[in-house]
Amino acid sequence: MIVQSEDIIIRTIARILIPFIQIFALYVIMHGHYSPGGGFQGGVILGASMVLLFLTHGYEESKARMTEKVALLLSSVGVLIYAGIGMLCLILLGNYLDYSRLATILNVDAAHARSLGILGVEIGVGFAVMAVMFSIFFDISTGGFSPEDKDNGV
Amino acid sequence: MNCFFTVVGLCLCIFVFCALYRAIFGPGVFNRVAAISAIGTKTLVLLLIFGLLYERVDMFIDISMVYALLNFIGCVAAAKYLESQGGIE
Repeated sequence: MIVQSEDIIIRTIARILIPFIQIFALYVIMHGHYSPGGGFQGGVILGASMVLLFLTHGYEESKARMTEKVALLLSSVGVLIYAGIGMLCLILLGNYLDYSRLATILNVDAAHARSLGILGVEIGVGFAVMAVMFSIFFDISTGGFSPEDKDNGV
Repeated sequence: MNCFFTVVGLCLCIFVFCALYRAIFGPGVFNRVAAISAIGTKTLVLLLIFGLLYERVDMFIDISMVYALLNFIGCVAAAKYLESQGGIE
């Protein structure tokens, strides 16, 4: 089980670095269609920031930020965003993920609607990847037994 | 200038293999962790040199930043593991 680190250098560096990592992850997600990156890569960087938080601050201090329950919820929400945008295009009489159909409800032209549609899908992918990355790390570090289970007497 | 960067990149490739030798055969876990960290740093610089050669530094700098970040987190994770398990082979 990940416990709190005593080393003040690691703790301080992590506390300073984590907001910048998350800002950079958001940049990678937002600029995925101009530069290398996208939903998956940004999600991995977001997940890495959460992993760094848990490595340096331990479970007890970090459970207010992220727990496995929240991770499962976020991964489902990410898939829901992805599939929801795809189904929305299907409902608007286009193909699955045919973003140009979103122009009618977003009230913009087709090219702009495609850009916004891709951005929405990448945000969904980012959510899902971040949550799954965190979940994998959490399961490996705890050996499959969550501290929440012990509290509930499972 | 391109020739200079190519030579620097080739030298870095050779140094990566020196660090790889230390990572595979090096006595002890600490040598291995340090060698892997050094390989990561050299790869970062190599990525930037690729960017200079292809004249797309603005693209490659993003990748190298992510590489530095994941290298740092990997190093912290390895140190954390050694802290809890001890560095005995």
